[in-house]
Amino acid sequence: MVELEIGQEVEMEYGGSAKVLSVIGSGGQGTVYLVRFNGMKWALKWYDIDKMKKPKVFRKNLQTNINDGPPSNKFLWPKYLTKETADGTFGYIMDLKPDGFDSFVDILNTYKLEIDPLTGHAVKRPVKFASLTAMVTAVINIVNAFRQLHRSGKSYQDLNDGGFFINVNTGAVLVCDCDNIAPDGSNFGIGGKPGYMAPEVVRGIAQPNVQTDKYSLAVVLFKLLFRGDPMEGEKVVRDVCLTESSELKHYGQNAVFVYDPNDASNRPVRGIHDNVIKFWRIYPDYIKDAFIRSFTTGISEPTKRIIENEWQKLFIRLRSEIIMCGCGRTNFSSMFVQPNEKTFKCPKCGMEFASLGFSDRKYRMPLYLGCKFYECEISPDSDDFTKIAGELVENKLKPGMLGIKNCSERNWKAKMPDGTFYDIAPGKGFPIWQGLEIDFGEIKAQI
Amino acid sequence: MSNENINEPVVNATPTPDALDSFEPASAPDTAGASALDFDDDPLSATGVSRKSLVIFFLIDTSGSMKGKKMGELNTVMEELIPEIRRVGEADTEVKVAVLTFSTEVRWMYSTPIAIEDFEWARLRASGVTSMGAAFKELSARMSRNSYLNSPSLSFAPVIFLMTDGYPSDDYREGLKELQSNSWYKFGLKAALGIGEEANDDVLAEFTGSKDTVVHAYSGSQLAQMIKIIAVTSAQIGSKSMTLSDDTSHELGEEDVFSAKQKLLGQQIQELVSNQVEDNDVPFDTGW
Repeated sequence: MVELEIGQEVEMEYGGSAKVLSVIGSGGQGTVYLVRFNGMKWALKWYDIDKMKKPKVFRKNLQTNINDGPPSNKFLWPKYLTKETADGTFGYIMDLKPDGFDSFVDILNTYKLEIDPLTGHAVKRPVKFASLTAMVTAVINIVNAFRQLHRSGKSYQDLNDGGFFINVNTGAVLVCDCDNIAPDGSNFGIGGKPGYMAPEVVRGIAQPNVQTDKYSLAVVLFKLLFRGDPMEGEKVVRDVCLTESSELKHYGQNAVFVYDPNDASNRPVRGIHDNVIKFWRIYPDYIKDAFIRSFTTGISEPTKRIIENEWQKLFIRLRSEIIMCGCGRTNFSSMFVQPNEKTFKCPKCGMEFASLGFSDRKYRMPLYLGCKFYECEISPDSDDFTKIAGELVENKLKPGMLGIKNCSERNWKAKMPDGTFYDIAPGKGFPIWQGLEIDFGEIKAQI
Repeated sequence: MSNENINEPVVNATPTPDALDSFEPASAPDTAGASALDFDDDPLSATGVSRKSLVIFFLIDTSGSMKGKKMGELNTVMEELIPEIRRVGEADTEVKVAVLTFSTEVRWMYSTPIAIEDFEWARLRASGVTSMGAAFKELSARMSRNSYLNSPSLSFAPVIFLMTDGYPSDDYREGLKELQSNSWYKFGLKAALGIGEEANDDVLAEFTGSKDTVVHAYSGSQLAQMIKIIAVTSAQIGSKSMTLSDDTSHELGEEDVFSAKQKLLGQQIQELVSNQVEDNDVPFDTGW
């Protein structure tokens, strides 16, 4: 491997050179350096081509990806290739990870290590989502990123916990390590990480593709929500030592989901898998059912794995079912008491929440101060889950009066307490009352 | 799917390991505090994911012949190495370090393996003879579920890294025989570094099980390079594992993956070492 020296100039393919400033990190395929190119700072990934099976093909694929551009702005995508050195070594530059993003690894660990530059001592800093909404938003963003990638006909190949950065305050997601992304069906010798790889890849009977990506995606989502490994339970822990053959068995030949309803042999173990045990009680059944399907039927039948669009719908629903109670308790509506079909009650403080029913779905959206709904929830043609369409606010002129503000760009109609419908222009609002009906156009809603 | 029919088993005090029947069972893990879970329903209050542990054992010769520059170099490298290994552990691996020194006596640097985040190198001093056999016996006694490998969760097979500059002064074969009957040793990743002219690579290959995972350092700069190469590579492989086969025409069996990591370690060490041969012919004690 040809390591770069600090201060060294690396020639870029289309002229100019990048000056190596420092080492950012190293991984299985090479080393990432901080470089200066055209007056800006970039990250340069420099490959260890000895470890590559087909460097020429790999480089060509990278070139194609650069030409195609990223599927969306959620990807830290390769920007420019370097020239090849005499022995064929090369790299590419990409944008630096922006501030405010933590690695998925640190989120799973719940802390990150910061090294004191003087003493070398490591200090633990907590890493935690600022709100439940930020966490569910991160899930939606991850799912959406892979939907965009797969739509462009490509697969990520080695999806694992090292592949994402997340802003824990907003739920924004950045997909990194995009250099192995390849057209569905092709593979340039990249493996994957046990626990994230689809069983058929572990068993050696398939190479990574869009279907195996879907399995890995389900693992990532499970780990983010349930904070544990979907296949690691009693059966696996009994093995004590995770050797190559036990990995082949537990993640390949005989993978059993910890909550497989028809096979109780691998349940989570108290004292080791407390997170999974706790969170499995909290999430609503439709989320659990999706994971059960992914990790039972989906193990042996790749085509029956949950598609990204389906995940996206499930998590948009989950986001709309979050209740932030005035007493400080934040949870999903399924964890609240339902004295009747339309009301949710906090089991801790007794506060009651009305809910909104929409004409195109069965589940109801609980209403609380600050709750929001999004463009995709009031317009059947919209896929926009980030643009806020409406928010529950307090009237600024009449304190104590709660109402819904139209944050969208279209007129709505709402039934007022006098029994007639009024036009609600963007920026305007209307009070919440027992007989409230809203007409968003194609979709209608009522209390 | 309702919540009621889910019953979580507690860890069996005496599980019956099947595939690895020679791994002795764990002592019952601490289940205290489990009942408190029922009252906590905050979807954001998670603890870190249960991590697999990887213990790296350093077996270091501190006999009198290591005195001076060799020990000075070794101490410095090890201090610098710790932050590098810290970066290797991933979200699901907790890397721990245990250091066993052997001279006339056999001694652990700390009484238990220490998490890499908290590990601080205590500088070693050299004196006495090379009781390698006794070190093997002590290692075998501690590489047990009831002793140093007592993580309640899963463990990767340990990394065992031997460094010596001389021929053993005791019956190393007897100690090695005992070690070889230990399952953790069998599945572990073994590597060895011979320091200077006196160290015998054949003895080291007996310990690692293959010549690929034995390297030799003749100079101070080589010593530093080799220690880093071996420690970082074995920690990476130990905490990750499993690479894919290109051939998807036949399903992998146990025989295909058996000791795959040890083979990979041998390959990678040889590749890396072959890139570092420049100062090969400078004897260890010159050029300082």
